[in-house]
Amino acid sequence: MAFNGNFMCSSFKQQLLLGVHDFDASSGDTFKIALYTSSATLNASTTAYATTNETSGTNYTAGGPALNPVDPTLSGTTALTDFADETLSNVTITARGALIYNSTPNTTSVSLTNPSVVVLDFGADKTATSGDFTIVFPTADASNAIIRIA
Amino acid sequence: MSAEVLEFNPVKKFMVDVQTTSGRGFTPEEVAERCANKIIAISDDANPAIRAQAHAFRGQILKTLEFYMREAIRSDRTTVSNTLTDAGQTELAKLIRKL
Repeated sequence: MAFNGNFMCSSFKQQLLLGVHDFDASSGDTFKIALYTSSATLNASTTAYATTNETSGTNYTAGGPALNPVDPTLSGTTALTDFADETLSNVTITARGALIYNSTPNTTSVSLTNPSVVVLDFGADKTATSGDFTIVFPTADASNAIIRIA
Repeated sequence: MSAEVLEFNPVKKFMVDVQTTSGRGFTPEEVAERCANKIIAISDDANPAIRAQAHAFRGQILKTLEFYMREAIRSDRTTVSNTLTDAGQTELAKLIRKL
């Protein structure tokens, strides 16, 4: 099995310290979610979006849709950010996991293209046939949010 | 004294949920359920009395969301139907109204 859990990509952690990623909802970077088949090998070492083993199917465009980020907030001493649930409408696709990546990173300090943020493992193949495919993000709190800095 | 460190909580702790449909879209009930979960998160560790109250409140929110989602769908169908009628697609407009 090529997917073995959810990962915050190691390169992303380094890039935060380089000011590469801006999660501001209105003026921040564009974050996309690309879907992958079970043949893909994605983990903490994944550094950038790639088309290898990306899902294909009706009404799915390579690279995936752009996500709607939620402004980063503080909950106690934990900083967190979230994305609105993403629905791909009227698609016929099967995906085992996904990669969230930044398609408009700040490259002032480092040269990057589509750097990875988070690898998501759906736990099993998920299929929509002429239907909707929705990725539901966890509750945006200090214990569950998709990206947290404690 | 040790210095505070920047610590990233392991992302493995959560599981992203994926919901899919086949041959249809999501129903108002299914979307309302998801919406209610965003509005109200109820901890399993909460005091039982507070948890019961929270569940009751969530039930009310759920019903309200479902009602207004159906209203929005009905209203949108009126708009779509009128647009189709204006474009001379009266049969299509009828179909939309009957959905």
